Amino acid sequence: MDIFLQQLVNGLTIGSIYALVALGYTMVYGVLKLINFAHGDLVALSAYIGLVIMMQLAGALSPVLLIITTFIATMIIIATAGVILERTAYRPLRKAPRLSAVVSALGASLVIENGIMLIWGPMPRIFPASAVPNANYNIGNVYISLMQVLVLIISFVLMVALYFFVNRTKLGTAMRACAIDQDAARLMGIDVNRVIVTTFVIGSALGAVGGLFIGMYYRGIHFNMGWIYGLNAFVAAIIGGIGNIPGAMLGGILLGIFNAFISGYLSSSWALALTYVLLIVIMIIRPTGILGERVAEKV
Amino acid sequence: MSSFAAGVIKIGVQAPITGKFASEGQSIDKAVRLIVKQYNEKGGILGKKLEVVTCDDEGKAVKAAICARKLVDEGVIAVIGSYTSTCAEAAEPIYYRAGVLQTSDGTSDTLVKHGYWTFFRNSSPNSAEAAFTAKFFLKKQHYKRIAAISDYSTFSTNLTNAVVENIKKMGGNIVYTGKITSGAQNFTPILTKIKSFHPDVIYFGGYYTDGGLIRAQMVQLGMKADFVGGDSNDNPEFIKLAGKAAVGAYLVNVPLPEMLPYDAAKKFLKAYKETYHENPASIWTLFNVDGLRAILYAAEQTKTTDTKKIADYLHNKLKDFPGITGPISFAPNGERIGSAYMAYRIGSDLKYHIVYKEK
Repeated sequence: MDIFLQQLVNGLTIGSIYALVALGYTMVYGVLKLINFAHGDLVALSAYIGLVIMMQLAGALSPVLLIITTFIATMIIIATAGVILERTAYRPLRKAPRLSAVVSALGASLVIENGIMLIWGPMPRIFPASAVPNANYNIGNVYISLMQVLVLIISFVLMVALYFFVNRTKLGTAMRACAIDQDAARLMGIDVNRVIVTTFVIGSALGAVGGLFIGMYYRGIHFNMGWIYGLNAFVAAIIGGIGNIPGAMLGGILLGIFNAFISGYLSSSWALALTYVLLIVIMIIRPTGILGERVAEKV
Repeated sequence: MSSFAAGVIKIGVQAPITGKFASEGQSIDKAVRLIVKQYNEKGGILGKKLEVVTCDDEGKAVKAAICARKLVDEGVIAVIGSYTSTCAEAAEPIYYRAGVLQTSDGTSDTLVKHGYWTFFRNSSPNSAEAAFTAKFFLKKQHYKRIAAISDYSTFSTNLTNAVVENIKKMGGNIVYTGKITSGAQNFTPILTKIKSFHPDVIYFGGYYTDGGLIRAQMVQLGMKADFVGGDSNDNPEFIKLAGKAAVGAYLVNVPLPEMLPYDAAKKFLKAYKETYHENPASIWTLFNVDGLRAILYAAEQTKTTDTKKIADYLHNKLKDFPGITGPISFAPNGERIGSAYMAYRIGSDLKYHIVYKEK
């Protein structure tokens, strides 16, 4: 039972990170019907940017203030990068065939990934061990670290905040309107470009939090890690129902737990393979994903 | 024997003096020249002075074969090198046909499988590390429940399998073997599973990039088991990745040159530093010149430059010759017997402390 609960905690932690990253995919898809393949690389970039900020400010600020500053500064920088990405790689192709945008997304992904390698080198970089106090809580025989608690709480808060933003604010309503029909939304006086930019800002900023969590929790980061996290988050978004915000959250957490149990009870080498089996099975049973039936509320 | 200039015995160096491994190759060349200088100051061997002929193989197999022909034509009796297994192997048959002795630090197992009497390998292969690790586990640490993990690379799989087999052969109890995906970062699922087997130790035969995280996550999961990492965990980044969890972790590797406990090593390193104002590039330099020292010693003992007789002496009579990297003896296939491996514990000062070595 201890083992089961420990695996559940392991899975929830990584699942929350997947969920945060999956939100970026699902929001952009909702509004633009585009899979932003460069999203995973923005996540990797955020870990590097966060590391630089942390190293620059270490010592100048108290630990708590350092963490908060790192998060806010990184989110702003990555959100800006997301907007630049939209401006340069996607907006010029908005009227072009769908395939052009997909190719452009893949190209952008390669540019960011190799850019990271050129700037920071191909060797793994390491977050300082003291970023977050290495405190452990032992409940029964289940170990939870302070970092895990922070990951779970902050992810939950951000996801709830996003849910309320989309469902209760004017801009959120505009976003949902654009997701249903951009032309009709424009006729109703909605500034579609502003909605799209907002989508990229929020999606990228959430991805940035995910990237920082990866860096602070696992410490070792490498230039091509965006690919594997991006892929898992992409699968999570599809499992939950792409374009559907609660779906991405659910998909991320389910995928994290699924991975933990497969790795723990079977073999870690099967985790990725069975992830795709799960994806295929869900696609066959429910082509729209687990929460994909609420078409009218797609974002 | 090929002809050689009157009064001079020629020694060849085949090493990557330029290219990717230039620092290693140059270090080997410098070290060989230093040893030769020391011998010549004492009057050389057998009443003749030694002379070094260097050929740059650039770390490339084609160049290695060209170098081998050139050095054979120069009339060398022995060649030191090369640094890479690929180049050593490409040159092997040429030296064999010419009856020229060759000693290399290459670790590839194929090097000693051709049956060439001319070839002597000085560095320790993975099989020696595995045997050493098994002894460390059972004779020094007395581990009762052992878990072993590797990644999917050939190197890691072979090393870890060899360690597991050696432990089993010695009657040790392996409770778990498994594999991780290198670079996966999140190893908590497999570690949680291993925890349920209550091991005394987890052996990891992979690279430091994963090993450091495995150690950190073991501690985070409250595991009391020791961590022992194979040679590729020996990198400063391991300690950075593991953070405070690095304290108490064990690593098994051939020693850093400055950690060699032997008198010959201390004297050699001092002389090298005085001559070149730097340290040798790595332990591999020392493995190479140890081959040279053994060959020169054998020539002095047999009082001949007949390579067949020298090789016979090295194969059959040389026992525990005091090398820079530890006692030297050779198996019939030219493989060095015994190992220079050591086990280190990372102390609270985050430095290596030798806890176990073979005599």
